[in-house]
Amino acid sequence: MPPKGKAAQKPKGSEASASSASAPTQQQQQQQQQQQQQKQTSSSSTSSPATTTVLERSHQRYDESRGPYEAAAAAVRSQKAGGGLGLSALSREEQIGWISSLLARSASARARANLGSKAQRELWRHVNEASLPVRCIKKTTSPEQQWGTDHAGQDVGRYSVGRFADRSEKRITLTTLEVASRRFLEARDQADKKLRDPLTGEEAVLTDREFQEEKDRRREMASLRKELYGGVSEGQLQFALDPEWDDVEPILQDEPENALAAISYPAEYDEAISYLRAVMLKKEYSPRCLRLTERIIEMNPAHYTVWLYRASNVFALGLSILDEIEWLNGVALKNLKNYQIWHHRHLLVDNYYPTIASSPVLVVKFTDSEREFLTEILAEDTKNYHVWSYRSYLVDKLGSWDSPDELASIERMINDDVRNNSAWSHRFFLVFSNPAHSSCAEKKLGATDFDPKVPATIVDREVQYAMDKVYEAPQNQSPWNYLRGVLAKGGRKLGSIEKFVGEFVSALGEEEKEDVKSTHALDLLAEIWAEKGEREKADLGLRRLAEKWDRIRVGYWEWRRSCLNEGVAAVVAAS
Amino acid sequence: MAEDTREAPPPPSLDIDRQLRYWKRCLRSPLPHHYLSNEGNRMALAYFIVNSISMLTPNSYIQSTEPRPLITTEDRRAMRKWVLSHQHAGGGFCGTSSLVFPLRDYEEWDFETKTPSLEQSGLANIAATLFALQLLALIADENDDDAFRGVDRVRTLRWLRRLQREDGSFGEVLRKVPGQVGWFVGGGSDMRYCYVATSIRWMLRGDIKEGDPGWVEDFDTALLSKYILSSQTYDGGFAASSQDEPHAGYAYCAIAALSLLDRPLEDSRAAHASKILHSGIRDMPRLVDWLASRQFVYLEPVEDDDDDEYDEDGPNFLLPKSLADLSLDENLRYVGFNGRTNKNADTCYCWWVGGALAVLGRNDLVLREPSRRLLLEKMQHQIGGFGKTPGNPPDLYHSCFGLASLALWGEPGLKESDSSLAVPVETVWRIERARAALLRRAVDEGKEGSLGREMVDMGLSLCAEKPAWLAAVVGQ
Repeated sequence: MPPKGKAAQKPKGSEASASSASAPTQQQQQQQQQQQQQKQTSSSSTSSPATTTVLERSHQRYDESRGPYEAAAAAVRSQKAGGGLGLSALSREEQIGWISSLLARSASARARANLGSKAQRELWRHVNEASLPVRCIKKTTSPEQQWGTDHAGQDVGRYSVGRFADRSEKRITLTTLEVASRRFLEARDQADKKLRDPLTGEEAVLTDREFQEEKDRRREMASLRKELYGGVSEGQLQFALDPEWDDVEPILQDEPENALAAISYPAEYDEAISYLRAVMLKKEYSPRCLRLTERIIEMNPAHYTVWLYRASNVFALGLSILDEIEWLNGVALKNLKNYQIWHHRHLLVDNYYPTIASSPVLVVKFTDSEREFLTEILAEDTKNYHVWSYRSYLVDKLGSWDSPDELASIERMINDDVRNNSAWSHRFFLVFSNPAHSSCAEKKLGATDFDPKVPATIVDREVQYAMDKVYEAPQNQSPWNYLRGVLAKGGRKLGSIEKFVGEFVSALGEEEKEDVKSTHALDLLAEIWAEKGEREKADLGLRRLAEKWDRIRVGYWEWRRSCLNEGVAAVVAAS
Repeated sequence: MAEDTREAPPPPSLDIDRQLRYWKRCLRSPLPHHYLSNEGNRMALAYFIVNSISMLTPNSYIQSTEPRPLITTEDRRAMRKWVLSHQHAGGGFCGTSSLVFPLRDYEEWDFETKTPSLEQSGLANIAATLFALQLLALIADENDDDAFRGVDRVRTLRWLRRLQREDGSFGEVLRKVPGQVGWFVGGGSDMRYCYVATSIRWMLRGDIKEGDPGWVEDFDTALLSKYILSSQTYDGGFAASSQDEPHAGYAYCAIAALSLLDRPLEDSRAAHASKILHSGIRDMPRLVDWLASRQFVYLEPVEDDDDDEYDEDGPNFLLPKSLADLSLDENLRYVGFNGRTNKNADTCYCWWVGGALAVLGRNDLVLREPSRRLLLEKMQHQIGGFGKTPGNPPDLYHSCFGLASLALWGEPGLKESDSSLAVPVETVWRIERARAALLRRAVDEGKEGSLGREMVDMGLSLCAEKPAWLAAVVGQ
C-alpha cells in the first residue's frame, strides 16, 4: 500500500523528480544544491562553488547520501568479515535510521515489509524529521567516466556545475525546438493535403509567419546542435535549415581517400553542390533552383554545369531574359575573367532575339543597352577576350553593322590606347564583315583574301586610318597588321604604300647612318621589294632585321631569307 | 633599357628537386581553396599534376629523388580507379567528382538496347574526357600495354560525334535544355573543343574498316577541318572565327587539331608532314609570322621613384622609344611570349606558341636561351612551380605548361614531350599500344558477341583492376 497523506507526498515528489522534472522540485533541488555548496564552502574554504566540477559534486552527493548508512554498512561488513555482531552492534537510533531509509528508498522493500498504515505514517514521519536521504546513489564501477565526453572530447565530469546546468538548459531548449519543428512539419503536411479542421471545418493553411518562424527555429537549433554536439555551423547549412528544401534529399559526394586534385572547399559549397546534384537529377526547374544556382555561382562562377542548369531554369520557367541579363551584369562586373558568364549571355540572347526580331525599335533599344554595358565592362578590362568575342557575336546577331555608335565606340577605344589590338580586330570585323559591302556572309573567302565587293572608298578610308595611327607609335604592330589586312581585302599590292612605309627606315645598310623606326616597316619593305623582284634589297632588309633590329626573331628572318632565295630559284628554274 | 651585363650570367638551370617538392605537395595534400573556381575541372588539375611529375621523373618513376617513387604502384592503382569512376554511363568522362552520381541514380537505363538514358550525358565533358585518357596512359605501369582497359570506346566515340555542331565545330557538353529542340550542345564556339575532339578520336578510334567488327562511325572530319581552316584571321593567327581577335591558345589548338586528323596511328612519332595542315592553311606565311611575333624582348618593369610599387599588371611588352637602345642589350637576356598582339608575357604562351611552332616543324624560330631564361629566372617560383607572370605565385596550369615548354626546348632532366598530344613521348607509345588493345578486344567481341564479355567489361570499368582470378578465367 502506498503511503498516504501530507507526509507521504513530499518525499514521493522528490523521489520522482528525476523523471518528471517538475518546476517546484527543481527549485527545491537547486536550493538544496546551494545549501550543500554553502556547506562545502564553509567546511573547505579553498574551493569556491564556481570551480566545483560536476564530478566533484557527484562525489559529494554520493558521500552525503551514504552518510546515514555508513554505520550500518560498516557493521554488516565487519560481520561478513567474520567478526562483530552485525546490526545488533548498532544503537537503536542507528537501527531505526538504517531501516527507515532502507524502506524509504525501496518500494519493493516496503511491499515485502507489508507495513500497516500506522507503521507507514511512522516511517515517513521519521524520514522527514531525520532528513534521511530517500535515494542512495549507487557506486558506479568507474565514477571518473560516468559523465562521458562531449563532442570536443572533453570530460563532461570536469565541467563546472554552472556550465553543466547551462548545457542541460540548452539541451532542453533544443528538445523543445525539435518538438515545435515537428509540429511545423505536421502542420505543413496538413496544409499540403488541404485537410480540414474537424472542429472548425477550416482548411489547414501555413502562414508565411509560421514559415519564417520555422526558419529562425532551425537556425537556432543548428547553432545549439553545433554548440552541444559539434559539426558544421549554422552559416554553412543554408539549405538543410530551410524548410523549403525539406523535400530534397541532398546527394552527398563520395570522395575516395586517394582522390586526385581534391580541393579544400568550404562546407557551404559542399552543401550547395549536394543539393544541386539532387535537383538536377530530378530535373526540377523552379525559382528555388534558380536561387540555388545563384548561390553556387557566387562561390564558383566557373562551374559550366551550373550555368547550363541555370539557363534551363530560366527557359523552363519562362522568366524574363532581360531580368536575367540585368542580374548577369552584376555578376560579370564582379568576375571579369570568367568565360561561362559570356557563354550564358550568348545563350540568353540567342533565345531573346527571336522575340524582338520583328520590332526594329526593340532591337535598337536592346542594342543600345547592351553596348552601354559592354562599354562599361571594357572600361574595366579593355582587352577582355570573352567580352570582345561576345561583342562581335552581338553585332552579327543584332545586325548593328552600320550603327555609327558602334564604330564611334571602337574609335574612342583606339584613341584611348592605340595598342589595344582587340579594338583593332573589332574594327576590322565591323568594316570587312559588314554584309552590306562585303562578301563575308557567303563564307567563301578567307580573312586575307581579296573581296571585290568592298568599295574602294572604304579601303582608302581604312588605309588612311591605319597610317595615321602608325605615326602615333611606329613600333605598334596592331595598325601594321591592320594595314596589311586592309590591302589584302582591297586586292591592292603592298607596294601601293611603299612611300609611307619608307618613312620609317632610312639609310639601310649604311653602317653609321642606318635607322629603323619600326621593324614592322622594314619587314613590310622587304616584302614590297620581293614583290617587285628586288631580291637583293629584300634580302638586305631581312638580314638587317636578323642582325640588328629584331634579333630575337633571327630564326624567323633567316627562314624568310631562305624562302626568298627558294622563290628566286623556283623562278629561275621555271624560266 | 640597356643593362650592364658584360659578364655573362651563370646559365640558369631547372631545380628538379624543388619542382618535385612543389608537385608532391599538390599531389598529397588538398589544393587550397582558391582552386575552388576549378572545381568543375578537377580532371584537368589531375592531369597537370601527373603530367608534370611524369615529365620530371625520367625512366618511368624509377629514378626519383626520394627513396620511394613519388607515385607508387599502389597510388597508380588508386588513381586509375579514381579516373575510371568519372566515366559516364553514356560515354565520355565527367570533369569532377561532384558531377559523378551514385550509379543507382543513372535512371532510365534502357535494358533493350543496354544503353543508359542520355539525359545525363551533359555531365560528361569533352575536355575532361581527353584529360582522363591522358591520365590513364600517364599512370599506367611501365609495361602496361592495355592502359585504356575499362574505357567505353564505342559510347565515348558516339557521344563525341554528337558534340559536333552543324558548322563543324565542337561543344563541350550535351544536354536537354527546356525550350530547345533535340539535344543542346553546350559550350561556346571554341577551338579548344575541336582540338580535344581530334585528340580523343586519335586515341580511341583506330582504323577499322567500315562494317568490320569494332568499327564506330566517325565524326565529320572534313567539316571540322573546314571550320578550323576558315578561322584564320586577317593578321594570320587563329580565333574561334575569322572575325575574332586571334589568340595563341586557339592557334595551337587549330594547328594541333589539323595535324592530329591525319597523324599515323602507329609509330606516330616519326616525322609526319600533315597534308591537311600544310596544304590546308590558307595563309601559312602570315601564320608563321604571327606565331613568331608572339615572342618579344621582355624588359623588367622599372620601379618608379615616385611610386614605390610598380604595377605588376602593367604592360611589359612595350619597347623603348628608340629601337637602337634595344639593340644595345647584347645579351638579349629575356624573351617572353604573349597570346595576343600587345599583351603581356605569360608562362603558358611559351607552350601554346612554342607547341604550335613545334607542330609546324618550326621549332627553330624560337630563340631558346633567353626564352628559357625568362621561365627559369622570372617565372619559376621559389617554392617550385611557375607563376603566370614574374613574381606571381605558382599555379598548376602555368607550372605544368612552364615545364612542358622547357621539355619542348630540350631541357636536361625533363622527359621529351609530344607537341600535339601534350604528354611525354613514352606516354604516346603507351597510348598507341592501349588503342591497339582496345581495337583487338573490339574485334574479338564483334566476332564472339558474348554477353559475358560485356558483363566483364562493365565490371572492370567499375572496379578498375582486373582481379587475378578473373584474368585466369577470361584470359586477357
